[in-house]
Amino acid sequence: MTGDILLVLVIATALGFDFTNGFHDTANVVATSISTRALSPRLAVALAAAMNFAGAFISLKVAATIGSGIVAAGAVTMQIVFAGLVGAIAWNVATWYFGLPSSSSHALIGGVVGAMLAAHGTAAVDFAGLVGKVVIPALISPLLAFLVAAAAIVLTYRLVARLRPGPAARGFRAGQVLSGGMLALAHGTNDAQKTMGVITLALIAHGSIDANHFSVPPWVVASAASAIALGTYAGGWRIIRTLGSRIIRMDAAQGFTAQSAGAAVVLAASHVGFPLSTTHVMAGGVMGAGAGKRISAVRWGVAGNMAIAWVLTLPAAAAAGAAVYGVTHIFGGGLLGPALITGAALAGALAGALRRGRAIDPRSVGARP
Amino acid sequence: MRALASAIIDGHALLELIYVAAVAGVGFCVVYALGVIGITRSQERRRARRTGAAALYAGLALVALAACAWAVVTGVEIMATK
Repeated sequence: MTGDILLVLVIATALGFDFTNGFHDTANVVATSISTRALSPRLAVALAAAMNFAGAFISLKVAATIGSGIVAAGAVTMQIVFAGLVGAIAWNVATWYFGLPSSSSHALIGGVVGAMLAAHGTAAVDFAGLVGKVVIPALISPLLAFLVAAAAIVLTYRLVARLRPGPAARGFRAGQVLSGGMLALAHGTNDAQKTMGVITLALIAHGSIDANHFSVPPWVVASAASAIALGTYAGGWRIIRTLGSRIIRMDAAQGFTAQSAGAAVVLAASHVGFPLSTTHVMAGGVMGAGAGKRISAVRWGVAGNMAIAWVLTLPAAAAAGAAVYGVTHIFGGGLLGPALITGAALAGALAGALRRGRAIDPRSVGARP
Repeated sequence: MRALASAIIDGHALLELIYVAAVAGVGFCVVYALGVIGITRSQERRRARRTGAAALYAGLALVALAACAWAVVTGVEIMATK
């Protein structure tokens, strides 16, 4: 009975993380489209939510490999998964509050690694895997997207230089709907699968699924797809504002090249099996599209704050994951600790909702800075 | 040191990523921009009653947008098979 309730808590927390993942990463897909007015804010998030939902059904291959090569999968317990998820949610909420786009995937990995370290020590974590699968890609992805977007915008400007601005802008806005849709589809495929993997791992740890015949149950796919789509539709407007108008003030061609370069880098990474964060890629793409026009067009202070958040993601989520695991351990490692933490988190979320300060909403995001 | 680096980083995958991303990202933007040029110029020429030039630009737009559509289908295929 205790195991069943703990499983339900872990699944609910995983879906909560999935919601924050969609909520946090909406900006990657819609910020440029909203900024250039290719789409209205509400239509942009609705389209992104639909594409994220559809994307979650396209492939299940990543779901089977979550955490592999980074932590010792055999040592993962439901308490560790719960602590890792809470650590990741905490970091996602904190960075959302400050309007900073950071990687939800890195937050999840950081949370689980921190909980593993607290539970089993350094032997349970493959640090070489962590560097190869998280740290190096985090360095490469924004730089690559930056260079691709910068080269693309320089060539695009040269090609369309003699066109009248109105028709050209309309053409690029139409292109943004296409490239944004691709990005949202890729995001749904990649990120919803992580939650599916986490829930499936919990089901295996519980004994509901045979570890030797690993398959993701259809209800897990449907619930993960729904959670990420709902989160996307809720829209992390603070981050959308940062990515869409606080890094550069972009025109339609820049919005199109940032999104297309981002989508190309994400899909190229999938093609060669190199794990990249959509957030890092899109932020790099936006900066590249700005710098390609003029280096000083990029607000480097905002970019610097984002880079600091990226560096802090792994250790901060790990610290939160370790702390949560520590608390669950104090209460005996059973159901009581996770139940208390869930209660405290829900109370905190309610208090935050009741004490909302100056809200950032679709209207303030849609307005030009 | 070099052995350690190669154990951590898959250099071959990294190089492939760089050139695939560069070709796909820059290529898609350039081809789409050609499509925008084709459509815009074709409309302008049609309004000026230069039907030959309008047809040429319309052809350019058609080829460019067909290439973009192919790229999108390839992207979805990558998502489904990775």
